Amino acid sequence: MSDDLVHPAATPAGTAALLPGPSGGAVAVAGPWLDTAGSVGAVRKGIASLLGGMRVTGRYVARPSTVVTQHYPENRETLRVPERFRGALRFHHDADGYHGCTVCRICEDQCPNRSIVITQREKGALTKKELDTFIWRLDACTFCNTCVMVCPFNVLHFGPGFESAVYDRRLLVYTLNGYAGPTAALLNKQADPDARKAACEPRDPFCGPTVLQALAEKRAARRKAAEAEAAQGVGLKSPAAFEKSAARTAPDPVPVPGPVPVPAPVPVPTQPGSVEAADVG
Amino acid sequence: MHFDPQSLASRAAHLAPTDPWPALGVVVGSVLGVAAFVTVLGLVLIYAERKIAAHFQCRVGPYRVGPHGTLQAVADAVKLLLKEDVVPTGSDHLLHILAPVLSFAGMVLCIIALPMGPHAQVVDLDIGVLYITAVAGLGVLGILLGGWSSHNKWSLLGAMRAGAQIISYELSAMLALLVAVLFSGTLQLSGIVLAQQEGWWIWRAHGAGLVAFVLFVVAGTAEINRTPFDLAEGESELTAGFHTEYSGLRFAFFFLAEFLNLFVLAAMATTLFLGGWMPLHIGSWSAWNAAMDMLPPGLWFAGKAAAVVFLLMWFRWTFPRLRVDQLMRLEWKVLLPIGFANLFFAAVLVVSGWYFFPTVAAAPVPQLPAAGSSDDAGGAP
Amino acid sequence: MNATVATTLRARLDALPSQSLLGTQEYFVNMGPQHPSTHGVLRLVLKLDGETVHQVIPVLGYIHRGIEKICEHSNYRQLVHLTDRMDYLSALANNWAATMVVEKAAAMETNSRIEAIRTLVTELQRIHSHQLWWGVFGMDLGAFTPFFYGFRDREILTDVFERTIGGRLTMNYIQPGGVMHDIHPELVADVKAFLAVFKPRLDEYEALLSENVIVQERLRGVGVLTAQDAVALGATGPVLRASGVAHDLRKAEPYGLYGQVAFDVPVGSRGDCWDRYAVRMQEMRQSIRIVEQLLDNIPEGKHFLVKPAAKIKVKPGVWYSHLETARGVLGAMLVSTGGEAPYRVHFRTPNFNNLWAVTTTATGGRVADLVAILSSLDLVIPDIDR
Repeated sequence: MSDDLVHPAATPAGTAALLPGPSGGAVAVAGPWLDTAGSVGAVRKGIASLLGGMRVTGRYVARPSTVVTQHYPENRETLRVPERFRGALRFHHDADGYHGCTVCRICEDQCPNRSIVITQREKGALTKKELDTFIWRLDACTFCNTCVMVCPFNVLHFGPGFESAVYDRRLLVYTLNGYAGPTAALLNKQADPDARKAACEPRDPFCGPTVLQALAEKRAARRKAAEAEAAQGVGLKSPAAFEKSAARTAPDPVPVPGPVPVPAPVPVPTQPGSVEAADVG
Repeated sequence: MHFDPQSLASRAAHLAPTDPWPALGVVVGSVLGVAAFVTVLGLVLIYAERKIAAHFQCRVGPYRVGPHGTLQAVADAVKLLLKEDVVPTGSDHLLHILAPVLSFAGMVLCIIALPMGPHAQVVDLDIGVLYITAVAGLGVLGILLGGWSSHNKWSLLGAMRAGAQIISYELSAMLALLVAVLFSGTLQLSGIVLAQQEGWWIWRAHGAGLVAFVLFVVAGTAEINRTPFDLAEGESELTAGFHTEYSGLRFAFFFLAEFLNLFVLAAMATTLFLGGWMPLHIGSWSAWNAAMDMLPPGLWFAGKAAAVVFLLMWFRWTFPRLRVDQLMRLEWKVLLPIGFANLFFAAVLVVSGWYFFPTVAAAPVPQLPAAGSSDDAGGAP
Repeated sequence: MNATVATTLRARLDALPSQSLLGTQEYFVNMGPQHPSTHGVLRLVLKLDGETVHQVIPVLGYIHRGIEKICEHSNYRQLVHLTDRMDYLSALANNWAATMVVEKAAAMETNSRIEAIRTLVTELQRIHSHQLWWGVFGMDLGAFTPFFYGFRDREILTDVFERTIGGRLTMNYIQPGGVMHDIHPELVADVKAFLAVFKPRLDEYEALLSENVIVQERLRGVGVLTAQDAVALGATGPVLRASGVAHDLRKAEPYGLYGQVAFDVPVGSRGDCWDRYAVRMQEMRQSIRIVEQLLDNIPEGKHFLVKPAAKIKVKPGVWYSHLETARGVLGAMLVSTGGEAPYRVHFRTPNFNNLWAVTTTATGGRVADLVAILSSLDLVIPDIDR
């Protein structure tokens, strides 16, 4: 800021010299002033100003067509979500359901919130480096679009789904790739459809190493062990009693609707109004 | 057309010596009727306010509960009934509990004296105007006690604002009201209505009526704490003012009292200046007058009251709030002088007989052995 | 002599301390962090005497998220997106401030199309921000309806942003090296449609609120901030300009395409709430003027000049750049020791400085005046705490 600051008494016109610029300068605001010095005229003007405001609101109340309310759940069919809208992160899958992710991990690197986690297969079917799971944590995402921008293979995009509300935050962890395996380009080189199928292993949207998943696996293992013990007659507990004690030692506060999938990996029932269901417009 | 108004209380009083059981029926009926009326009126007004406010603001308002949200107010009431009733630690429990009851009771006591039709009036007191202004004071008592007993500084600020405001504006309201009393020559509300058989005071009183009507509406708006005079609540300043610490049923009582207040103000303005339940008669246009008489008086009253209520809602959803000192300035420097001048003008008109309409002889005042013996108004003189 | 008993009322009043004529007592009240008109989690401790405000003590830190600290762990591309969350009503200007300092530090180039797009969307967001302010201002004064009108008209502009940018509030659009998307083909038509709707609505705003006698009574002469005080507090933006200091970085140090468009800087003369109100109302009209000049003159070119995933390298050193958001001067300072992440990032946010105007201007006024002053300062609390 310049040192020769303007004295408050200085007129705004005098301050215009501060401002270099092609045209235009400081203009004093006048505003629609009312002269409200106490007189009969002032009372009249004041009342007129109040009536002016009432005319504005009165015009709206008289015309129900000016209502802008949208009846949201009912108008879902006609909702138009802009194509650039950042709803839910999605993979571009081609007609065969193949994606183009080469596990270059640039998105994972550039994600400011670590909301993308990528795991790769130990041994790929066709190449050394193949995608296993592409995990996107909606609960950590700030929808900054950086991953989409930096992806060199145009694998990612933001879909229109915006109805992400669930009752359990663990359901906000998605696996985006429909299958674990090589990219579309490599798969298309395989002439044999069976070879293609063999190279791919299906993945469902909730199959990532979520807490839910880990819990389900743990429970399944315990149940199995208990059943084995019961079959051998070694264990004193029945499987049901075991379940009870297991619930006490490892409380599972799962408010997920439906039974916890046993054994893994079984998809968690899709919530009504989940991202999949919301791909409208 | 000749009206012979008769209040329910006087009817019961006439019946009592000879037919005690029908008299008791009238009494019980009036009590139940008033209770039902108050409840339904509260719900209707709350729904109307929300819907009208919404349309002022390009919204639709309640829409989900019932067709066009008509059951929204009922749902709200149920919600408030089921809510936890919090009484803050350190509050004056007795007064905290008493305050909303006082507020509410004041309004119900007002409603029973209002003439809503020739026969739709519970008690027709010969000092009805005085009675209503006196009983309405219970409302401010409730607000003051509520703010004081809440043990919350915001509540206290709201209550003090309300106290100063209501007491100040009652002067102007009274001055405006006296104009109608002067012209009618009676303090009896049914008498004031009957006096307007030939025309309503708002235009028949040579300008004094119109000025008094405007004064009454403005001062009344301030008395019932509605925007632009909602300083006692002052949502953006005092969070919720005097009822910050109220929840559940007690809040519901305050809320209901607020809306009944609105109705009482509209009904008083209607009765005093818009002819009450009188149909719109114009001089000697007998065909017109006959056509107007087709509508029942109760509908006339409801229509006029609804128009005033709509006007008050229009104010509320257009204007910002005044500041405390501006509020006082408006009352003491603007409204009060105008009110006095207007009253003086009206008095000169009446005393000198410069008005060119026939004086209507007040209807014979029914003898009230024990005024309001039929219901809660037992304490009234 | 001193033992004389004061018998008359006058004598009793004279015996009292002058500041408290009625012998009343001061008391403290917490305004916030949960209060309808602090618009967020600002906490003001008020020392009141009845309705009169004797002292205002702001207490900060309720929404401190350590954005500057997180920036130290982010690379130069990542740190931009967090600036959305500072002044969430000027997300684009915040993006631009961060981008500007990164581009300066990394010596990145832009072209005139990028600058034009940045200027256009930022100016649209100035309108966007002022629309919300107007609505909230009405609500703070006790009129609810302006709130809905402001939001209704703001929604049109939000949809325009949504179409081009994809975001509605936190947008992360302006990036080092360009803007994230090219403008939508429909943008120009959309904005023109918006302006056609909004210009008459602006007159409606004036009829509903500006010309209202109650508003004028509530605002004029209330919360006077002198030019010296404003400068001493470091107040910027409409708050400073309302006090009569014609300082606007868009004119003083033109960035973007501001050097090539014609517009005026509205300046007040008394520094009261009314001037702050009027300055913002006029700024909306000036922003419309800028937008109209830019709309049909967006140069051709690319919208992003670097490889999206390229590492941004910054030499060791200290950089600072600033720009004018809807609320004032937003400065961004960057300290680099080389490497991928900055050593230190600091934002000089306008709201932090503007906030302190309330401590000097609200004293002696009423509680209602305090609310009007707070609202006229147009504070966004997350910007104060960062």
